[in-house]
Amino acid sequence: MTLWRYVGLGAMIWCLGAMWMAQAMVPIPDWPRPLTPAAQLSLDQLRFAFGFAPRLVLALLVGAVLGLSGALMQAVLRNPLADPTTLGVAGGAQLALVCATILMPDVLLWGRGPVAFAGAALTTGIVMILAARQGFAPVGVTIAGMLIGLLAGAVSTAVTLSQGHYLLSLVLWTGGSLVREDWSGIWRMGAVLACGAIGARLMLRPIAVMALGSQTAVALGVPVAWLRAGVLLLAVWLSASVSAEVGLVGFVGLAAPAMARRLGARRPGQILLAGACIGALLLGVIDLALIAVARGGGPALPSGAMTGLLGGPLMLLLLPKVRAAIVQSHSAPHRRERADLCVFWLICAGVALAAITLVWGRVPLGWGMLPTQLWPQIVPLRAIGLLAAGASGALLASAGAVLQRLTANPMAAPEVLGVTGGASLGYAAVVWLVPAPGPIALALGAGVGAACALAVLLICVARADLGAARVLLAGLAVGAFSSAVLAVMTATGDPRAWTVLGWLSGSAARVTQTGAVALCALALLVLGVLILARRVLEILPLGTGIAQGLGLRGARLRIGLILLAGLATGAASVLVGPVSFVGLMAPHIARSLGLVRAGSFVAGAWILGAVLMVLAAWGARSMTYPYDLPLGLFATLIGAPWLMIALLRRRGL
Amino acid sequence: MGRAQISRRGLCRALTSGLLGLMVGGSVRAGVSRRLVAVDWAMAETALSLGHAPVAIAELIQFRKTTACVVPPGCADLGLRGGPNFEALQMLAPDLVLSSNFYGFIGPQLGRIAPVLVPDLFVPGSAVLPRLRAAQTALARAVGDQDADQALATQTEAEFSQLAAQVASYAATPVCVVTIGDARHVQIFGADSLYGGVVDRLGLRNIWREHTQFGFNAPVPIDRLLDFAPARLLVVGEVPPSVAKGLSQNIFWSRLPQVTSGQVTWISPSNPYGGMASALRFARALVAGVIQ
Repeated sequence: MTLWRYVGLGAMIWCLGAMWMAQAMVPIPDWPRPLTPAAQLSLDQLRFAFGFAPRLVLALLVGAVLGLSGALMQAVLRNPLADPTTLGVAGGAQLALVCATILMPDVLLWGRGPVAFAGAALTTGIVMILAARQGFAPVGVTIAGMLIGLLAGAVSTAVTLSQGHYLLSLVLWTGGSLVREDWSGIWRMGAVLACGAIGARLMLRPIAVMALGSQTAVALGVPVAWLRAGVLLLAVWLSASVSAEVGLVGFVGLAAPAMARRLGARRPGQILLAGACIGALLLGVIDLALIAVARGGGPALPSGAMTGLLGGPLMLLLLPKVRAAIVQSHSAPHRRERADLCVFWLICAGVALAAITLVWGRVPLGWGMLPTQLWPQIVPLRAIGLLAAGASGALLASAGAVLQRLTANPMAAPEVLGVTGGASLGYAAVVWLVPAPGPIALALGAGVGAACALAVLLICVARADLGAARVLLAGLAVGAFSSAVLAVMTATGDPRAWTVLGWLSGSAARVTQTGAVALCALALLVLGVLILARRVLEILPLGTGIAQGLGLRGARLRIGLILLAGLATGAASVLVGPVSFVGLMAPHIARSLGLVRAGSFVAGAWILGAVLMVLAAWGARSMTYPYDLPLGLFATLIGAPWLMIALLRRRGL
Repeated sequence: MGRAQISRRGLCRALTSGLLGLMVGGSVRAGVSRRLVAVDWAMAETALSLGHAPVAIAELIQFRKTTACVVPPGCADLGLRGGPNFEALQMLAPDLVLSSNFYGFIGPQLGRIAPVLVPDLFVPGSAVLPRLRAAQTALARAVGDQDADQALATQTEAEFSQLAAQVASYAATPVCVVTIGDARHVQIFGADSLYGGVVDRLGLRNIWREHTQFGFNAPVPIDRLLDFAPARLLVVGEVPPSVAKGLSQNIFWSRLPQVTSGQVTWISPSNPYGGMASALRFARALVAGVIQ
């Protein structure tokens, strides 16, 4: 059976690596016996017994817990994209810890665990309330989770920035450092894993029935709602424990179960077990490599941020045969659409908003109109920023709208597909390789990076068909890889890293006149193309068969539209940075306004993206004057609550 | 309605007069000295030490807490160092913007508002103090006050030499300058940092020969400190209570000979991104701690 052969191979690689490292550190005859008092050990033995050995074990345990947690979530939600980060668990834990560190540092004397769990439980609770309104439809749950996660992340960044400094220990924590100096964390993690395994074993049979679909499960007498809540609670507890112990470790929970399925695990029990094993080996091997790098004189890199470095490419390699299918939720019943009117009002609102923010806001002496004497100086400056922000919002939103239409998947967005990650890699490469790069070189770098990420995406998924879930998985893998590379760059402490970090935060204030005009032209061009292509956008989501039957060349059109989305994203991220979620939110808001048909949906999303970013540019400039907040962050703070309310009001998306 | 309009007008008038006053004041003073604004903290300190206080400084809230200089009360806040508020900058109408190589990426935008001084201050592998000294001279030349530069340089050198003489007998023992990050990580300062530069200037021996590990998240695990066991451990800054608890339970920390024999020197916090004034303050604290 190939699955276990692969797992065995991985285990062997890990064992050999660990043994080699261990004997390089302390020769085998000198290995300290268990339970030797620390005072009797030499320096190297001390490091071996209390630093190296626990770290090895901890990596395995954390990986296993995350793999199990991800597999549980994916099984019970019947969604290959569910994992602790996409369900908002990690975001909640981080927010709680940030708030505790800044506002009530004494609370942390009780330990990080309870604080992190409280935060994670709170956000997951909100996600579950939203999910219940959707009848626990897989797609709805994941969207709610990602939204809450985004919101939590944005709030914690805003809280940190409002204090005017970033916190080193927090950065370390979010990076997921596995450095240890005793065994206490290992016992805790081991107990967590044991409890998780027992819980999963007890619920295994109903989970297996659930995997057949909730209607079948109900018919077979499974209390679906209770089971779902129980399994999710277990999974959340597992990942919150990891958050508390070592911090954010991304991607393992998503990738391990997917790899298990790819390597041939079929039954739920098999997937759970193999997911845990693969998760352990994935994190174990990555951590060994990082220890080797640090021992070789390299920088000490946080393991949690590095998981994408190995996991990303591995996932892409395995992708062609990953079994990933999203069970589509039924779309909301068609309401009679008053599209023209709605789009008209949106345009009015956008123009009015832009005009107001041009002259009203925060100036050094308080809130109010800009004094007319200063207009010639300041208004052109604001107008450039406004145009650029609006245009980039429109571009991101149209990219998101196209991708959501194409993949018939409401979770698709340029940020989710790793396109912005590729753009930031391109930008960082230019900063690193070109001495004193100009704005055109940087824009080109970001554009080429975005296109490359898309090309990788296309190559990986083109071998099979462009199945929705597979595209998303590939995108998440590309995104995880690029964020790991960026983490390595910032960890070097090189001044160039500051340039990249400054750009990552995103700001409308740095755009030149030419840049703003170019962005506007591009945004209008994209709008025109999409309106012309509205029939295609209407038909493609219905499936390849129907599209062919209606005489469309599906594959070519899809590739063309995806490329368009990639270019739009690349151009926009030069300005707003890679962390904006307008591309995810604007199309959703458009849909929640009742814009369902392709033409009005795309136009509505375009305008909403622009409005959202204009509002964000104004808020980012005014709220914490004179401290500019990152644009993408403010867009999230505005858009996410709106979407949450929309989710609460309506059943289904 | 009427009342609201009046109050709005009143507000406008107040704003206008305030801003105009700011500008008129600036143009009057421009005859004597130039209107400076500082994006970089080291350059802000340099300007303050030279007696040419900037009219605005970036991240002023934190700067006031950490700087070794006295900031005049009228000084305005420019926002983030990496992303200053260009509108506020434009309204201040400066004659010269003080930046550094750290903020080279916003150079073009700053250049559209006023001439920019961009000295290379913190360069990996290169000593900081001579660079600060050169930047000070460049700034003095830009504001046309070379006398202040000479006087300040002489005074600084004299104090450094005096402090170095006080610790001359300690030159044999190497030192290791760290700040505590969390209970498991520290930042270590090499010769290319402000603290490392001071250690070298005082004639002490810095045991950390590599580049400074001080960045966004480039920390050193605490067990690395065991390699520097004979060195005198200089810990800069305060430790939050939760970290102090974790530190006391850290087996590597407790195993450090400096810790077991109670020979850790705690030094009051300074500004690692500051200028010569911060360097001097750190030097005084270091000498006081070492002699004690």
